[in-house]
Amino acid sequence: MRTRKYQLALSLAFVSMLVGPGIIQFGLDRAAGRKSPLLDVMSGWPNAERLRRFEQRVTEDNWVVRRTRPWMQTAQWLLLRDLGENVVVGCDRWLFYRPSFDYVTRQADDRVPDAASAILDFRDQLATRGIALVVVPVPNKESVYPDQLTARAAAGSLCQSASTADLLRRLQDAGLDVVDLFALYARARREALPAAAPTLYLRQDSHWSPTGMRLAAEAVAERLLARGEVGAATTSYTTRRVTTLRPGDLVEMLRVEVIARQIGPEQVECEQVVERDDGAPYTDDPQAPVLVLGDSFLRIYQLDEPGGAGFVAHLALALQQPVMSLVNDGGASTLVRQELHRRPALLANKRVVVWEFAERDVRFGTEGWQSVPLPPQEGTADD
Amino acid sequence: MVFSTYLFLCWFLPLVLAGYYALSGLLPRLGCSPALVSRLRNAWLLGVSYVFYGWWNPWFVLLMLGVTVINYACVAFLARPTATAQQRWWSVAVAAGLSLALLGFFKYCTFLQTNVNALFAWWHIPPWPVLDVLLPIGISFYTFQALSYTVDVYRGVAAPARAFTDFACYIALFPQLIAGPIVRYVTVAGQLVARTHDLDRFSSGVALFILGLAKKVLLANPVGELADAAFEAQSLCTGDAWYGVCAYAFQIYFDFCGYSDMAVGLGRMFGFEFLRNFDAPYRAESITDFWRRWHISLSTFLRDYLYIPLGGNRRGPRRTYVNLTIVMLLGGLWHGANWTFLCWGAYHGLWLAGERMRGKRSWYDRLPAAARVACTWVLVLGSWVIFRAPTLTDAGRYFGWMSGLSGADATTALPAALFYAPASVVHMVVCLACVLAPVQAHDWVEHMHWGKVLLVLPLFAVTLMAMFAQSFSPFLYFQF
Amino acid sequence: MIGTRTRTHQRERLAVGWLLAGLLLAACRSAADADRAAPRDPELAARGTIEVTARLVEIPEGAIFQRDLYNYATILKYEVVTVHRGELPGSTLYVAHYNPWLPRAAAADARVEGIGGNLRAFETGQVHRLALDAPLEDHFMGGVVNKYFGQDTGTLYWAVWTNLAEP
Repeated sequence: MRTRKYQLALSLAFVSMLVGPGIIQFGLDRAAGRKSPLLDVMSGWPNAERLRRFEQRVTEDNWVVRRTRPWMQTAQWLLLRDLGENVVVGCDRWLFYRPSFDYVTRQADDRVPDAASAILDFRDQLATRGIALVVVPVPNKESVYPDQLTARAAAGSLCQSASTADLLRRLQDAGLDVVDLFALYARARREALPAAAPTLYLRQDSHWSPTGMRLAAEAVAERLLARGEVGAATTSYTTRRVTTLRPGDLVEMLRVEVIARQIGPEQVECEQVVERDDGAPYTDDPQAPVLVLGDSFLRIYQLDEPGGAGFVAHLALALQQPVMSLVNDGGASTLVRQELHRRPALLANKRVVVWEFAERDVRFGTEGWQSVPLPPQEGTADD
Repeated sequence: MVFSTYLFLCWFLPLVLAGYYALSGLLPRLGCSPALVSRLRNAWLLGVSYVFYGWWNPWFVLLMLGVTVINYACVAFLARPTATAQQRWWSVAVAAGLSLALLGFFKYCTFLQTNVNALFAWWHIPPWPVLDVLLPIGISFYTFQALSYTVDVYRGVAAPARAFTDFACYIALFPQLIAGPIVRYVTVAGQLVARTHDLDRFSSGVALFILGLAKKVLLANPVGELADAAFEAQSLCTGDAWYGVCAYAFQIYFDFCGYSDMAVGLGRMFGFEFLRNFDAPYRAESITDFWRRWHISLSTFLRDYLYIPLGGNRRGPRRTYVNLTIVMLLGGLWHGANWTFLCWGAYHGLWLAGERMRGKRSWYDRLPAAARVACTWVLVLGSWVIFRAPTLTDAGRYFGWMSGLSGADATTALPAALFYAPASVVHMVVCLACVLAPVQAHDWVEHMHWGKVLLVLPLFAVTLMAMFAQSFSPFLYFQF
Repeated sequence: MIGTRTRTHQRERLAVGWLLAGLLLAACRSAADADRAAPRDPELAARGTIEVTARLVEIPEGAIFQRDLYNYATILKYEVVTVHRGELPGSTLYVAHYNPWLPRAAAADARVEGIGGNLRAFETGQVHRLALDAPLEDHFMGGVVNKYFGQDTGTLYWAVWTNLAEP
């Protein structure tokens, strides 16, 4: 059969496109004096897990893969308004974190961890030391703003997953003190409608806005004061208005500069908590009677920009006394209690522990919901 | 290893092609005879196929080797000139029995034990400890291929393999090893000995491979996300439920058809010619027509190795209906150990039997052609609900959503955010257009020209970029 | 005729032999290239309070995974081979590595600075040369995936610099 030029061109171009990324990577590795990661496959007896890791590493290491990925992501965003597998784009460019979306929209399977048992176990352990527990599940953004996810949802409606409803019911039945932010936020949204009040969550971030955070801090403070475990005010705090620009964790997660530039940062008006006397920024006090455990909802505005303007500082502001905090990003279900176990001093002098966790952690919490023992009491032997 | 991965495309395939064509070029110059060159090429393909297969779990290679050895040895025994008819029959029985026993153990053991335990619980008998058996991927495909060899030689349709490496290469041949098409020995027996390698075949294989990869990466994966969201939803409204099952219908078609196109394309790059596995199945005008177009290699395999030995249509209409239902039930079970697959098979079996009663005409054959296609599409969607749902209860729930009988809850409206995002709508429309397109990939690549080359190459570049941006997504049929 | 066939077979065997020898040589050469030693890294001596060569004996299932929104550290188990600097109480070490799914050179970020190394990926059986700090709590505050929690791990160490040990 006569060879045609287009057949040759197609075959050569195909083979070139196949070998190109590998050859480029090989050249780059040689130029940098690096051993090719492909040789790692011979570094031990191959088993399924090792081979999966090897394959993932070789792929992620490849220069062409890393360089072309942002182009594709940018093209998908510009042409189709698609931000990839982990972000759902809602109305008016509101962005939602896909695992949270899945938490709300997908049914739970049989492997749902038993959050209630772990929480009640923690409550019982704390009680043996005379420490109370107050739990603060933070609603998913999708639960509070379903109408920003899709125009089909009724404006101002609230959407609670069956898993969350079940957990809250079990905790309340067991007599645990739960601060119900769902009801609080639903009320706030109802009262704010139809006025253009500040939103309770950031548009392009998975976290609450300063308004949502402040409402939560005030509700928790009110609960703590009502319980009576927290004494009279010890410090006089006030606030200072600070404006900060936040790109949004959902945009940063993509790691594509063009998209980040195109979407632009969100302007956030924060209230930084400072001491009334000398204007010193709020700081935690290890001797405070309140210990706050939680995840990145505690970090935002507090340890991140602008600093001292987050939930912990606003809780202290509402109580007019400092508190102590332990923050573990994405690890409020189990990791934060494991960290507490490693830091026994944090429980000294405590009368109440406030435990904040994100709603989606009920099903997707890192390391599930393990039963974690309290740290040994200071001055006693570790058993 | 998965075709749509960097490691396969950028390292495995080029190295395998280079080794294969280096052997083809080098060995004759070193004085090797064409027969030896062909055997060494097969040995090379065998070795790399074991690497390809062992990439999932190296231990699975031993199982495949076991099935290969059993069938090769039994055929060697039955093909002896001195073998009696009884010995020949027993050889086939041993090969089939052992191969199917291995398939049964790995694929159906846990299912059987779980259901026996359910019965035990009914009678208050303590449960039997359930073995957690890992399913070796592709086992259904290569077991059927091995059996086709044994049965074809027994029937005298094919001659025994020239060498063990040839036969092992046929079983393990990586292009179609994991998810078909099921290549019968008689189809490739001659090609294992001598096959043509030319640029015409190679380039059409390249084009077909690119089209298959694009179907998988650009269509099946994105609509698969929609299908997953629908089938795992807490609640759906009627329209969304139909939309979700359409997404699944597109996903399974483009995923499986894409794999088959890639398999046939790869085969051509190595000089093989496999049969096409799909022929525009969603343009079928009846369920009978659908099975002429969908997974053709499985339906013809079941016809030749099960339906006809059962008596086919030779024993009267009633037996024909029973045979059809049995074949489809077993075809369903072949897909996996779950009541949903069994019911899916029964559903198709009953429709096929129903159409057979009307002389292979559908129950709606008086409607215009477009309406016949639409009716068949709806029937097929119903079957996909049973097929995709994890349990029959879930399937029932999904049918409830489709019919509007299940109530809504607070989450019902939310999946719309994903379903009707611009990207999702574009993917669904392109899928629909491709399904209804008058030309199929196999036909399209038959007559290539510069225009097509200039379409296919950018498509390949975009597909590669999209693949690099996606997370790992194996083919659906790997689980069967 | 028979003589011709024998000669052909001899030629074929010779050809296959040459081919196999060539492949073997290529494999040995690439293995030798792979084992070529890297120069000593001064960062190891300059960082942390402890410097140790240790064998990575276990990566617990699910200890290393990619997380989109948050970074974390994971605890891996080592057996000490040689202590170069500082003191260790036993022969087993539990070491926290930050962003373990990334090459060490890319593991640092705005929150955790000053960590690194030449290791590209963790594999059981590898021997690492590590610069460590202890205890972990004094050097890292964030998510720690500790599959050994509840076991007697003693002090947890913080990996500052991690290199693949020179052969």
